[in-house]
Amino acid sequence: MKKLSMAVAGIAMAFGAAMAQDTILIRNAHIHTGAGQEIPGGFVLIQKGKIAGVGAKLAAPKGAAIIDAKGMHLYPGMIDSATAIGLTEIGAVRETNDTNELGEFNPQLRALIAVNPESEHIDVTRANGITSVMTLPAGGIISGQGSLIHLDGWTWEEMSLAPNVTIRLNFPVIAPISAGPGNRSSSGYEDARKRYEEQLDRLRLFLEEARRYEKAKRAGTTAMQSDPKFEAMLPVLTGKTPLFVFAAKERAILDVIQFARREKLKIILAGVREPGKALAEIVKDKIPVILPETHSLPLEEDDAYDSQYTLPAELHQAGVKFAFGSFDTQFSRNLPYQAAAAVAFGLPKDVALKAVTSNAAEIWGLGSQLGTIEEGKLADLILTDGDPLEARTQIRQMFIAGKPVSLESRHTRLYEKYSKRPQ
Amino acid sequence: MRHVVFVLVTALVAPVCAETPGVLAVRNARIFTASGPAMERGTVVVRDGLIEAVGANVPVPADAWVIEGAGLTVYPGFTNALSAWGIPRQADTAPPGRRPVAAPLGPVARGPEDRPLNTSWVTAQELVQPGDPSIERARSGGFTSAVVFPGAGIFAGQGAWMNLAGEKAGHMVVASPLGQHLTLRTSGFTSFPGSLMGVFAYIRQVYLDADYYKASREIYAKEPRGMKRVDYDRALEGVLAAPRVLLPAVTKVELERMVRFGAELKRPVVLYGGHDAARAMEAVKASGFPVLVNLQWPERPRQADPAQEDSLRTLELREAAPAAPAALAKAGVKFAFYTGGLEKPQEIRAAAKKAVDAGLSREEAVRALTLSVAEIYGVADRAGSIEPGKIANLTIVDGDWFQERAKVRAVIVDGVKYEPAAEAEKKEEPAK
Repeated sequence: MKKLSMAVAGIAMAFGAAMAQDTILIRNAHIHTGAGQEIPGGFVLIQKGKIAGVGAKLAAPKGAAIIDAKGMHLYPGMIDSATAIGLTEIGAVRETNDTNELGEFNPQLRALIAVNPESEHIDVTRANGITSVMTLPAGGIISGQGSLIHLDGWTWEEMSLAPNVTIRLNFPVIAPISAGPGNRSSSGYEDARKRYEEQLDRLRLFLEEARRYEKAKRAGTTAMQSDPKFEAMLPVLTGKTPLFVFAAKERAILDVIQFARREKLKIILAGVREPGKALAEIVKDKIPVILPETHSLPLEEDDAYDSQYTLPAELHQAGVKFAFGSFDTQFSRNLPYQAAAAVAFGLPKDVALKAVTSNAAEIWGLGSQLGTIEEGKLADLILTDGDPLEARTQIRQMFIAGKPVSLESRHTRLYEKYSKRPQ
Repeated sequence: MRHVVFVLVTALVAPVCAETPGVLAVRNARIFTASGPAMERGTVVVRDGLIEAVGANVPVPADAWVIEGAGLTVYPGFTNALSAWGIPRQADTAPPGRRPVAAPLGPVARGPEDRPLNTSWVTAQELVQPGDPSIERARSGGFTSAVVFPGAGIFAGQGAWMNLAGEKAGHMVVASPLGQHLTLRTSGFTSFPGSLMGVFAYIRQVYLDADYYKASREIYAKEPRGMKRVDYDRALEGVLAAPRVLLPAVTKVELERMVRFGAELKRPVVLYGGHDAARAMEAVKASGFPVLVNLQWPERPRQADPAQEDSLRTLELREAAPAAPAALAKAGVKFAFYTGGLEKPQEIRAAAKKAVDAGLSREEAVRALTLSVAEIYGVADRAGSIEPGKIANLTIVDGDWFQERAKVRAVIVDGVKYEPAAEAEKKEEPAK
């Protein structure tokens, strides 16, 4: 464990040195650009928060802080594509939960403005190499706008990367209580279907109203009153903003896809676990997918034990573009291992890395700014002592928008404290 | 509206059926005595509610009402080995054999000392209403009696052998109490016991408490003076009064578990459920516990989600269940039938037929509805077979009961003849 405390001390020093610098040169790092290139002993120049140069050898501009990264690897910072970081602290403490709002349709709500920059989860998540997350509201049928945020900033304004790149839709599902051996009373399928249809009707009605609002606005109707809910739906109706739709199993996924086709909406499928025949439709419509925890049990008792482990590889083979989401807050930090587990079951390593970096950036429409180590992009970088998908790897240093950030967290503080406890 | 029509029709038909002859004879019928081999042509004489004589050459008394038996089969009165027949249906009296998860009864319990979900002192005859429509329906299906148990709670209460006809519940009781009906009902973590493990711990504790209670009461009864009296505990009184325990076990795991658990209780045990008995036969046979087999074979629920694929385990149990009685018979394990959630006479007959189709002989099937029930509950000295001196419960069927076209011609309960309310049965079908 000495190694860890040394690492922490080293970072603290580097952190102090580079703190006030606008220009940083990282040299002698093994660079994994995430765009299909590896540069052993390479240089990366950071200027004004962005990557100003990547190469085998770069000259240090005047006044640049120089970080010698000999023996270390440089990767793009990772992105968790589904979490509620900043919106919730302790599930069991009501006051710390700000994910849900009353009402069924709340497209006007922005997750961003509810983000608490003091959340302990931010530091903990950063420590494993995650530099930005998609934080999402919950509840109702339309929960609100998901926001891509940097895991650094004094205020939510400073953390903001893209405040309204998606709107979360909890598409109605038929969810009857299933029967087990000895429990025949089960079912309730008819009731579940009825509830589903009622919800679907309300959703259709809401979309219909939003469309009428859009038409009226285009026609320049003067008597019209501005409605924030419908205003928020405008980019969805025009297909600019995708809906983030949770659908785990075949029937729900097909249902969502048909709905999206009918209503001509752009969607991102989330939480896909058992696509079955729906996979072909996902491919056909080129729908991006946010995959949940890889290390999970199969949904059905007779499924193969590894059905969830192999799903990412299957989606990749079918040509689906996907990213990983933790769908969690305190375990957002396990995102790299989610990707790693998929590698162990057939997903190519570079695709796994993309699924937590560039694919995520592209799915969220920030492909030109995030996700790889390329000139012009935001300098969200991690310096590591190995492959960041490996559990043994330590993240030695992190840059968010070019700024070195602390890798200290509640965990390391407790570690430090208890290492000093007298025997 | 259809339901109303049905009720009216039943009300009109029911009283007409009953006749009250003192002496009654069925002549020249095929007779399944259950205690001996079937007779192709025989006569049964019933007098004052008891069987007077049975045999091939029994003379018909001059004062007897005669039923010409050509083409008829006479069985001992069919008896449902575990039922809630006669108990008016409330929200909480699910048919025995299900494992419901329900809200706790009464206040939140903290532990076994609060005796949650325990109504062990309740007897079936307290709850049975002689006018309950289930009784009439059961008679129409050829049943003359049922072992009725209260169905609510972990210690649900005490069963009684009830004849399915009578003015008052007291007239209907043939024997009581016959056992304590246990279910594995959990309180869904709102109250103790919240888990299955908690239920087992609780049952175990109650039996330990009951034995301690009994011993303390005995010591006190010997020399009350100078000793603090033991508080009366009706829950433990009920547990102690029951001569046997009925434990639920459907699947292999459940059967093997209950065999082990039942042995711990050091009381006569009867297992009920039994669908997976063939695969747990070694343990079941070694235990010597009789098994009540639920005739409601596991099936895919009609209301099931069409997208839901049943697991292999579920499919295997569905496949194996109807063959369980044949396997029990072959292994020499005592078993009887109960109807579970089945209500319609046609369904009950079809379910029994399924067991026959899966290899059970008709004689064994009839026995599982008659004499075996009586033997399991210890009332074979007065009911269960067609033998002189036994209670005159007979089921008279036009043809062979296991055949679909066969009609129940009449049932004789305590020597009184009842004809099935055929009209009512027909009206009921479209209402469902």
